[in-house]
Amino acid sequence: MAEKTESSRVAIPSFSGKGKLWIGLLVVLMAAGLAAWGYQLTMGLIATGMRNVFSWGLYIMMFVLFVGLSAGGLIISSAPKFFHSHRYEGFARLGVLVSLACIIVAGLLILPDIGRPGRIYQFFTSPDLRSPMVWDFGVVLLYGLLNLWYLWLLTRRDLAARGSSLALGVKDTEAGRERDRTLMFWTAAVALPTAVALHSVTGWIFATQIGRGDWFSPLVAPVFIAKALVSGLGLLLIVSVLADRYTNFEVDREELTSLGKILGIFLAFHVVYLLAAERLPHAWADHFEFWAIMSNFLIGDSVYFWLWTVVGGAVPLAMLALPSLRKRVSVIFTASVLAVVGTMFEGIRLVFTGYEVANIDSAPGISLGGEYTGITTNIWATAGAYTPTVVEIAVTLGIIAFGALIVTLGLKYVPIQRVDAEPSYAADGGKQDQ
Amino acid sequence: MTNYGLVIDQERCIGCQACAVSCKQENNVPMGQFWNRVLTEGGEKMDTPSGGYPEDGGSGSLDMQYQPTACQHCENAPCVKVCPVNATYTRDDGIVEIDYDKCIGCRYCMAACPYNARVFNWDEPEHMPEGGTGDVEERPQGVVEKCTFCSHRVDEGLDPACVVNCPADARIFGDLDDESSTVSKYIDKYETDQLLEDRGTDPKTHYISGEMSPGRPQTSDKMESELDDVSPWSDGDDVPSDGDDSAGGESSGGHHSVSGDEVPRVPSVKSGGDD
Repeated sequence: MAEKTESSRVAIPSFSGKGKLWIGLLVVLMAAGLAAWGYQLTMGLIATGMRNVFSWGLYIMMFVLFVGLSAGGLIISSAPKFFHSHRYEGFARLGVLVSLACIIVAGLLILPDIGRPGRIYQFFTSPDLRSPMVWDFGVVLLYGLLNLWYLWLLTRRDLAARGSSLALGVKDTEAGRERDRTLMFWTAAVALPTAVALHSVTGWIFATQIGRGDWFSPLVAPVFIAKALVSGLGLLLIVSVLADRYTNFEVDREELTSLGKILGIFLAFHVVYLLAAERLPHAWADHFEFWAIMSNFLIGDSVYFWLWTVVGGAVPLAMLALPSLRKRVSVIFTASVLAVVGTMFEGIRLVFTGYEVANIDSAPGISLGGEYTGITTNIWATAGAYTPTVVEIAVTLGIIAFGALIVTLGLKYVPIQRVDAEPSYAADGGKQDQ
Repeated sequence: MTNYGLVIDQERCIGCQACAVSCKQENNVPMGQFWNRVLTEGGEKMDTPSGGYPEDGGSGSLDMQYQPTACQHCENAPCVKVCPVNATYTRDDGIVEIDYDKCIGCRYCMAACPYNARVFNWDEPEHMPEGGTGDVEERPQGVVEKCTFCSHRVDEGLDPACVVNCPADARIFGDLDDESSTVSKYIDKYETDQLLEDRGTDPKTHYISGEMSPGRPQTSDKMESELDDVSPWSDGDDVPSDGDDSAGGESSGGHHSVSGDEVPRVPSVKSGGDD
């Protein structure tokens, strides 16, 4: 088994000064987030920018983003496995690690949003199976466990070979590796539909609601799948490039360019096609003249719309469409960042479209249960308005820092890089996809 | 089965806010929150009409109506369906209620309610006077609350506070499943609407507009079904129907209600008199 030990390595053998600084920064952010959450627990959610009309805010917006972000890694690592392909093998382990971190961040973001987090056990003791939130709770839990299992499955023989206690007693044997390959196939076979379910169910939390404007649309679930593909792959590329730069992790340039191209295709499908499909029927039905229909179809109404479609859509799409540009790592990196930022604004826009307008907006309106911070001293409002508070931002950053810490520690303790593919395995499927 | 509902006669409503205030008082609703609001349908501001005054001998277009709005107690209540922990539920008598000990404060129900009828205790609820008011225990910080049709009163056989305290007799509470109840008769006889009917929530709150109804027979705090206690069946919905004592089809059993076409006190006149 001696040669097997050479087949993998960890990305961070030991933390340098810079590495320690990075961990220190994450710990500071987490501590600040924890303190902010403690403050919010004593004050109540009055410490947030949410009020009665606009009753979900940054936490839910970021929950939506991170559920989407957790898609990319798992799909990139499990889809080829499912088709017995060796493509993108270099990204497989890092992908699952990033997925795991993101779904943990998403799950944790729910905690500060809840008014009485101490009662969260009610999800188990008194669930209503009609509630899309119960479905989502179940699928997020399942998806998190699946990611954990998959990451361990992908690396446990290598962990055993390295003598790591994380192998949990598993031995590194040829027969064991052979059996794991079968298990990986079946895990991939379960992971793919679970990923689809995760994003659809999260979409249905919104899409089932008749009371919140554009939320009630059958397109929301497919759009969530599309934006998960865009943002998830985008984040995987970002983390890969950063890990390649700052750790011993090495990215295969050819595969990186190829994934960049796929990101472009996802972007085109999501931001151009699905958005057009969503907007055209409304624009057509609401307007009479050709140019009125067209302008309503093409021109959005909020700043979030433009941030999403131009900064997060058109610009990265153009960068990835030009062959001369997309070969550059810096271009792929920038396009990925823009795609993730764009998806974030799409989620923000979704929540805003639901809460901005009240269905019944006669004066005096709806009692807010507190003033909208800095906007009015009145307890009444006829429309929703929302600005996150420093507390919300601190809590959110703290949770995201925790996700970043998971990825960093994963790079340190889990053999994230496979150095060479095993020939016996590559013989049948490896050639076909070149 | 009993299925409680509310009829609000917008032609009778005078916009006095008594229902909003008595609700707040009866239910110990915290500062900054309202379970029941009287909205002005008309101008931009409260108590202002839309349209303009008559000029140069022409006719004006001023128009205004009041729309008291609280939880609509929907048959197909989205808030009940979304609640992940069964904290919001529909009682056997049709009232949509919240178990404040179960509510985790996720506010999914607030997203689900098309009427914005629900409020959340963003901070420690504040009461004036500090000890609170009315007959309902205060709800803690971090849970959602809303109108309960005064279920604590209904359980005692009393009409909701907003109904009893309406000086214009514009609010009528009763059993929608009982054909002889005033609410059923008014829904049958007058032009009634439900709010946001197109959403398919099927609210149990019905609004009369157009022709004015005679309102609620204002004789007692008791619910209609409790009024006539001559009969041994007087305590409500388990009155043997039609069978032995109502040959003429009149509701002469345990129910005190508006019988036939005979309406109490106010003759049905054309609308427009009071606005």
